[in-house]
Amino acid sequence: MKKLKILMIGWEFPPIINGGLGVACLGISRALSSMVDLSMILPKTDLNFTLKNVNIIGLNNVDLASLNTQINDNPYQNFSTSIHQSDIPLSPYPSASPQGIGNILEQKKLKTISPPSSTNPFQVDDLYGDDILLRIQQFAAYTAEVAASMKFDIIHCHDWMTFPAAMLVQEQSKKPLVVHIHSLEYDRSGPDSKSWVFEIEKEAMSKANIVVPVSNYTGSIAREYYEIDSSKIFPVHNGADVVEVYKERKEFPEKLILFLGRVTGQKGPQYFLDIASKVLQHAPNVRFVMAGTGDQLRELIENGAYKNIGTKFHFTGFLTKEKVHKLLSMTDVYCMPSVSEPFGLSALEAAQFGIPCVISKQSGVSEVLFGALKADFWDIDKMASHIITLLQNNSLKDAIVKDAFNDLKNCTWEKAAEKIMNLYKKIDLQYHKN
Amino acid sequence: MSSICLYFQVHQPYRLKQYSFFNIGSEHEYFDEELNISILNKVADKCYIPANKLMLELIKKHNKQFRIAYSISGVALEQFEKYRPDVLESFAQLARTGCVEFLSETYYHSLSFLYSKDEFVRQVEKHREKIVEYFNQVPKVFRNTECIYSNELGDFVQKMGFKGILAEGTETLLHGRSANYIYTSPTNNRIKILLRNYPLSDDIAFRFSNQNWSEYPLTATKFAGWLSSYKNISDCINLFMDYETFGEHQWDGSGIFNFLAHLPTEVLSQKGLSFHTPSEICEHFETSGIYDAHNYTSWADTERDLSAWLHNSMQEETLTKIYTMRHDILALKNKALLEQWSQLQISDHFYYMCTKYWSDGAVHKYFSPYNSPYDAYIYYINVLADLELTINTEKLQKML
Repeated sequence: MKKLKILMIGWEFPPIINGGLGVACLGISRALSSMVDLSMILPKTDLNFTLKNVNIIGLNNVDLASLNTQINDNPYQNFSTSIHQSDIPLSPYPSASPQGIGNILEQKKLKTISPPSSTNPFQVDDLYGDDILLRIQQFAAYTAEVAASMKFDIIHCHDWMTFPAAMLVQEQSKKPLVVHIHSLEYDRSGPDSKSWVFEIEKEAMSKANIVVPVSNYTGSIAREYYEIDSSKIFPVHNGADVVEVYKERKEFPEKLILFLGRVTGQKGPQYFLDIASKVLQHAPNVRFVMAGTGDQLRELIENGAYKNIGTKFHFTGFLTKEKVHKLLSMTDVYCMPSVSEPFGLSALEAAQFGIPCVISKQSGVSEVLFGALKADFWDIDKMASHIITLLQNNSLKDAIVKDAFNDLKNCTWEKAAEKIMNLYKKIDLQYHKN
Repeated sequence: MSSICLYFQVHQPYRLKQYSFFNIGSEHEYFDEELNISILNKVADKCYIPANKLMLELIKKHNKQFRIAYSISGVALEQFEKYRPDVLESFAQLARTGCVEFLSETYYHSLSFLYSKDEFVRQVEKHREKIVEYFNQVPKVFRNTECIYSNELGDFVQKMGFKGILAEGTETLLHGRSANYIYTSPTNNRIKILLRNYPLSDDIAFRFSNQNWSEYPLTATKFAGWLSSYKNISDCINLFMDYETFGEHQWDGSGIFNFLAHLPTEVLSQKGLSFHTPSEICEHFETSGIYDAHNYTSWADTERDLSAWLHNSMQEETLTKIYTMRHDILALKNKALLEQWSQLQISDHFYYMCTKYWSDGAVHKYFSPYNSPYDAYIYYINVLADLELTINTEKLQKML
């Protein structure tokens, strides 16, 4: 059988951005590369970075002036007239702002977006600069132009920054669309956020032939909050890259409980502080570390001091990957009290280090780490009691770690790619039937 | 007749390293020696050395009629001795003129009076020994860290043998009276309180180089004229400020040294004005009334209270924790550990954690070696975590 031709549209990708989305896109495309004929359009790539059997097109390396692109001829033209640019730095995965991005935009009607200049807009340092909306529009227009001269059977895109581009290509090519959901506005800004990002997400999922959330949890949000037809939602769990694990002797006698992630509302750092305070009342010989940075950091530092637990609750700020691994090598319990976590790759990384995990039920990873101890993110008492149990009960700890190693065997990008491959085949068949 | 009392504070803290979580348990050197030496050298070259040289010339020139006072923190003296003996010698030279008084303060420029009277006494005594050793005089007037004062402190130091104490002259406690007289405490009438005339002090310390100030540029003639206008309605005009005003806060190019060089001539040329040190003022003048400070006042920030060091939860937690360790530290009788713990009491550590913004925030930022008050807290609390571990280990070893 002839290999299917897949046009993948992404945004973050290593080595330019190493966030969770980039890591997942790399894992998926690498695992798919032997099964399909894969091309990938990204806003920005490093020419020195290649992937075997994958045709990577970075718009920063394309002579866009020669494309003759008419930005205003696209169906999202209305974005450029009705939505106004903000001078507030916007990031697609920012803090959980109670207002959401849309409200900020509505309040700050400053200047209408002008068509892109002749210089390449993707040759910038920060893809998430303050003109994110303009950049997404430009990305859509140029991607459609590049895609027009390509042959492909299926479009596969990742998260909202790529959705306008993917819908445009779908419109133009009439090919089936796979929308992969790594994170939703619901996760980032809470259930009340109905911003323009929410609208883009909803429209793309509605127009998609297949929606692939990274967990059943995220699938349920697509169904319940975005009212997407459940018959086209097919969750595929992420894999985990194998990391080199090691154990390092701690320089202090206390056991170490770790929180790792952005210090924003979505990740539940305030709950971690409350859990720590509770655990310390019962087990004073424990240390807590909050690794990461974010908009809630300062408030949390002051709250920690207020709770008078500063010498047992440590903040590290942003850490490099090497430092994160060093920290994992010292950690006794990993705690992830996320308020809404589509997947939670870091818990799998912790599991590889042989660390028992206490995770929130509102996370995708709780569906694959069967052995992990779980509680609702708001249930401080239960989270704290799980941690204390693990600290005091070595046989339980060993059993959980052993279970997690078994669970990890199923968490590979190859398994994820196989599931995606089956979905490709399914829609390709449907497409040819119609 | 009015006495002009010039007093300068000299202090350099030990600043902490950027001490991270990963250092806890393995890194027991807490202070950034390189940074501390470099700041000390910078301030010594820009301020202490040139200013001391000028002061010495002025004392000689005016045939001992120019008289001044210093309070030098113990940790500053210690650093001079270790890294800049030339600075220490220049202060000793000033002491030998007989025109310079050295005041008493806590050795570690600490807030110890607020947390432990015993610790306070230990530090004041340690500081006194140093002043006797270096300058051959026994301090008679006390000056608490950043002019922090209350009735209780006034009473306490009088009982320790001091005849006078310096304080901030705040309007809320003066009730319309002038700061230019000697006051005493409602609870102990044997202590003499010298109040800082903060508008005139700050004209030099803060406003001197401010080109938007209506009185800019400030000349010695103009300033002496202002002082002279008080000569019939004052006993003493107390001009208290950081010594680093000369050449550091107000840089050389602003003309601050030139101002200082002409000030004594201009003041002494005014009839009825003279210079005296705090002890001399305590001897010459009787008290004019009661200065009732139930709550603490200080010379810091616009609030003139303790809020520069005790305003947020980070400051409260760290201050409480460091003083709670005292019992354990003393019991261990480990000299090096006692020294480290003492150096962690330096008030600057808590000043760096201040989150008050607006005008004072800028001042705090100017003095802080760290990016933010939160960083200052994190380094400090990590150090405390390590110190706690050391204490626990030593306690265990003692028990065995």
